[in-house]
Amino acid sequence: MVEQLLDSLAHLPMQRALLACLLCGLGCSLLSVFVVLMRMPLVGVAMSHSAFAGAVIGMLLGLHPTASGFVLCLLVAGVLGPVSDRTRLPPENTLSIFFSFMMGLAFLGIGMLSKTRAGVLDLMWGNLLSLSGRDVALLGWTTLVLILFLFLFFKEIRAVLFSRTLAASSGVPEKFIYYALLFLVGAVVSSNLSTVGGLLIFALLIQPGATALQLAYDLKLFFLISALAGVSACVLGLALSYILDLPSGASVVMMATLIFALSYIFSPKRRAAKSS
Amino acid sequence: MSAPVIEMRAASLRKGRHLLLDHVDLCVSRREFVGIIGPNGAGKTSLLRVIAGFEKCAGEVRLFGRPQRGNRGTRVRVGYVPQSVEIDPAFPILAVEAVMIGLSGRLGLCRSPSKKDGERAMELLEIMRVAHLARRPFGHLSGGERQKVSIARAIIQRPEVLLLDEPTANLDIAVQKEVLNLVEEIHEREAPAVLFVTHDFNMLPGAMRRAVFLDGGRIVYDGPSSEALTGENLSRLFRYPLETFQRGGRRFISLG
Repeated sequence: MVEQLLDSLAHLPMQRALLACLLCGLGCSLLSVFVVLMRMPLVGVAMSHSAFAGAVIGMLLGLHPTASGFVLCLLVAGVLGPVSDRTRLPPENTLSIFFSFMMGLAFLGIGMLSKTRAGVLDLMWGNLLSLSGRDVALLGWTTLVLILFLFLFFKEIRAVLFSRTLAASSGVPEKFIYYALLFLVGAVVSSNLSTVGGLLIFALLIQPGATALQLAYDLKLFFLISALAGVSACVLGLALSYILDLPSGASVVMMATLIFALSYIFSPKRRAAKSS
Repeated sequence: MSAPVIEMRAASLRKGRHLLLDHVDLCVSRREFVGIIGPNGAGKTSLLRVIAGFEKCAGEVRLFGRPQRGNRGTRVRVGYVPQSVEIDPAFPILAVEAVMIGLSGRLGLCRSPSKKDGERAMELLEIMRVAHLARRPFGHLSGGERQKVSIARAIIQRPEVLLLDEPTANLDIAVQKEVLNLVEEIHEREAPAVLFVTHDFNMLPGAMRRAVFLDGGRIVYDGPSSEALTGENLSRLFRYPLETFQRGGRRFISLG
């Protein structure tokens, strides 16, 4: 079976699927550090539904769904932070409003689509084996920008994650960092729409970070564990879906959940908290 | 008297229908140690937030001779210590890293702290008597230990103005005294202007030569602390009968 799996890697669709899996796991898991530590779990669903709504609108208008999803998601990502700050609404409330609005918009669009609902389901669940070269290139560029951002602004990101107020008081451009991170969530979510799918991205934006939270007190190690958890979930999930002929997106999420469950069971931090 | 580092003229802050600061005039010089005193809701925290640049208000606020616009150039010169820092115990940051956050703005974008910066962080943790906790997760520290780390974080900025918002609130009496002594030591060593917000008169720093009373967002007294802390003044401020008495050269307050 392993031989069969390795043989399949000789084919271009499988190579693309594997590469996309690696990039998706890496991008989402790095951002899940931000999502988990800022306690913004809804950011994943708000963004994925924005991308989903954008894709549906694109289908209605005869545009490329990935491109229109990407544009609407970036638009929402760009306004989310400033709207939350200006209205002084808690971020979770702003995210909930955006999430429900985008979900409504998406379903409104689906209702208006008469013949192409199968394509919409691809956006919800993803289809790793039908990726184009352009999809993979977009994923690659988005992940590269994200990694560069994390390297260049690591100390500022740490300050913002610790406390936006204290980061601002020490002279960190906290709004720029915070809004940029939200924008990057939007970019990563929308570029992954056709890999694991809009709905399942939510899991990859939470579980790797939640896994790292069980294991690390050092932020650099936290990013590393999160990235390893995300990439492993994607690669193992893809292998599982190939071997057992299961839907690829759902398999990836099952793997991410299994990794989180293991980290929770063996968490030294949880045990230390119990004994103190 | 040296040039003022803080100048406020007719500064007013409104949130909805509530007037939090009402035409506040305040000048603070370099090295001054000013106590900001008042009952709950008097506007003490709002005053600090306006000075720190977190709130925009009507009137004029100038820091270091320039209008306070909350930009980086001004913020790196102002250290701010809130009442408490609430954080998830599992948050991945060590005490020494929490101190280094104070340097993030001063270093500028894309520049990492040097070995010397790390040594300075350790030196400050030693001054604050918590060097042994440097490698402990910040979320695992007690309230008093967190407050000492927070003061070290503000001091590593080398601030010319240090804003302390009830830094001894929620601490036990021994830790309150220790934190007060450390604040005075820092004032002596680093010589920033200090604005110390409190409503606990039995824990006033000895270095505090000037007292500012706030009530309903207005400054109702601004002068030497020795003349300010009388039973009559404090009873009027808190609308409750209070008495003062001297012991060992220090003034204490009791209920009348």
